[in-house]
Amino acid sequence: MNKTASVVIVGGGISGCAIAYNLAKKGVKDVVIIDKEYLCSGATGRCGAGIRMQWGTEMNCRLAKYSVEFFETANEVLEYDGDVEFKQGGYLIIAATEKEVAQFQKNIKLQNSLGIPSRYITPQEAKEIVPHMDETQILGAAFNPKDGHLNPFHTTQAYADAAVRLGVEIMKYTEVTGIKVENGKIAGVQTDKGYISTPVVVNAAGGHAQIISEMVGVKLPLYSERHQILVTEAVEPMQGPMFMSFSQNIYCQQTPHGSFIMGRGDPTEPRDLRVTSSWEFLEEMAKTCIRFLPPLKDIRMVRQWAGLYNMSPDAQPIYGPVKDVEGFFLACGYSGHGFMFGPVTGVVVSESILGEEHTIPVDALSYDRFEKGELILEPSVV
Amino acid sequence: MLKSTGVPMEKDLESVIPPKERLAKGPVAIIECFERIPCNPCYTHCARGAIKEFEDINDRPQLNYDICNGCSICVSHCPGLAIFIVDETYSDTEALVKIPYELLPLPEEGTFVTGLDRGGKPICRAKVIKVQNPKFQDRTPIISLAVPKDLSMTVRFLSLEDYYDDNTIICRCEEVTLGEIRELIRKGYKTVEEIKRISRCGMGPCQGRTCQQLIMEEIAKATGEHIENIKVHNYRPPILPIKLGKIHGGEKNE
Repeated sequence: MNKTASVVIVGGGISGCAIAYNLAKKGVKDVVIIDKEYLCSGATGRCGAGIRMQWGTEMNCRLAKYSVEFFETANEVLEYDGDVEFKQGGYLIIAATEKEVAQFQKNIKLQNSLGIPSRYITPQEAKEIVPHMDETQILGAAFNPKDGHLNPFHTTQAYADAAVRLGVEIMKYTEVTGIKVENGKIAGVQTDKGYISTPVVVNAAGGHAQIISEMVGVKLPLYSERHQILVTEAVEPMQGPMFMSFSQNIYCQQTPHGSFIMGRGDPTEPRDLRVTSSWEFLEEMAKTCIRFLPPLKDIRMVRQWAGLYNMSPDAQPIYGPVKDVEGFFLACGYSGHGFMFGPVTGVVVSESILGEEHTIPVDALSYDRFEKGELILEPSVV
Repeated sequence: MLKSTGVPMEKDLESVIPPKERLAKGPVAIIECFERIPCNPCYTHCARGAIKEFEDINDRPQLNYDICNGCSICVSHCPGLAIFIVDETYSDTEALVKIPYELLPLPEEGTFVTGLDRGGKPICRAKVIKVQNPKFQDRTPIISLAVPKDLSMTVRFLSLEDYYDDNTIICRCEEVTLGEIRELIRKGYKTVEEIKRISRCGMGPCQGRTCQQLIMEEIAKATGEHIENIKVHNYRPPILPIKLGKIHGGEKNE
């Protein structure tokens, strides 16, 4: 199979599908998405699927707000015949240290100035929102009722279906084995199913982004880190918001389906492409969860798994072109929040490719920020 | 009843069903011949002499269960299609029933059909294990069906239609119907893993113990692939649900 495309997107997660949809909507023909397995087989399908606007940098706040506003109307805009299951039960981010109290109050000021309705609340107020929590463990909390949860499989499928209706081709079970560059310009993509000539390649490969970039000789300052997660059996609705702590290392949310999804980070996790599961995670996760949310001890967990965070030096995405390779565009380095930024990724990366002005200015997130040393560090990441 | 409906009753069957001990030893012929008629090919074709010599050609066949090894030669030679082979040692949960079947088209090996009882009533889903149609059977093919063990003396015919219809719930944890799965396969989901993600089949407390095999069969049917080539989904720990409060004090284990 040899063919020609105008844009080849590597990676069939939320980013790849959203970029393809936006390009096709703007009239670009012959857009191809390639995934080595199936849609959502990587980070998108493995993520905790939380959606929040409570960030510590103006950039991330803007990106998240745009995305949340999109999710609110995603079923209609994408004309999806299923349901993306957007539940806006809020995010309750607890402050367990004095440092966090100060940081949250600063963050909330920033968030409010951008129109994000977050507020600082007392332990008692937090208890009213999540009645089964142990409020004696916290000093206070930040709460935004508009944050929430979204089904990653259906959201990606909604984008993919809409993209396919607009003429996008999705090649599943196709692996990119090389990218051809001629005179500093992208010439084509070699896959295990044949060669595709194209002037534009988008790297939306999630945890494998650094490998794809190396194919064109671009060394990204990224590494992938395993993050683990578990899900319980479904129970009656009892927890509205995502319960989260940066310093105590937990996020725990009840999905609309009724199951609890929870995860944590661990600085000793392997930094390679492993997505295996460990017992240590289960034990630490259960311990932390029961400490803050004691009644959950009687709920049965049914499954654990892992996915890759594609970590960038400042925990923010890398968007846009690469100076040395014409036609090579980046949509990676999300550091654990690529799913919730999906809609804005689709918009700004498609604008980069078409040379249009950005809906939200994201030049500060370009690849050359690392050369210039202009990092904008995000303080609020699990 | 046998006289008016043609369907033998329990009382009639008592005389032709071997004792439990014999059934536990392996395949054996069940000769459901209840009428005195001038017919004896079962006796003349049995190479082991398991069927007692007919004194009168109108005699009903008398099978010596200990000599019969369930070879099935008599099955295709019975003009009345009245002989079946039952092997209750086929698996822990299933019995193999060999049925003479003279209709076309023949079922395909590896597919699923509906097992019918003696009165023609649909009774269970049955897998076609083997279709034997060599020349010496003279156009009386023998179909081997795997059926639930407790139905080994009930299933005596088959219909090519699948026992399950679109409304059958095949994922009990998440209440997903076969129709939904078939629709997803039509839409292009061709692996268990993809179907699991979009439908939640296999995500519930049983972790796919029931539904996975059924989904694999549906994929095999739709794609024409052999079921052995259909991949199972990733098995994830802990396999059996466990209370969060019970997870304590484990050891390092990747």
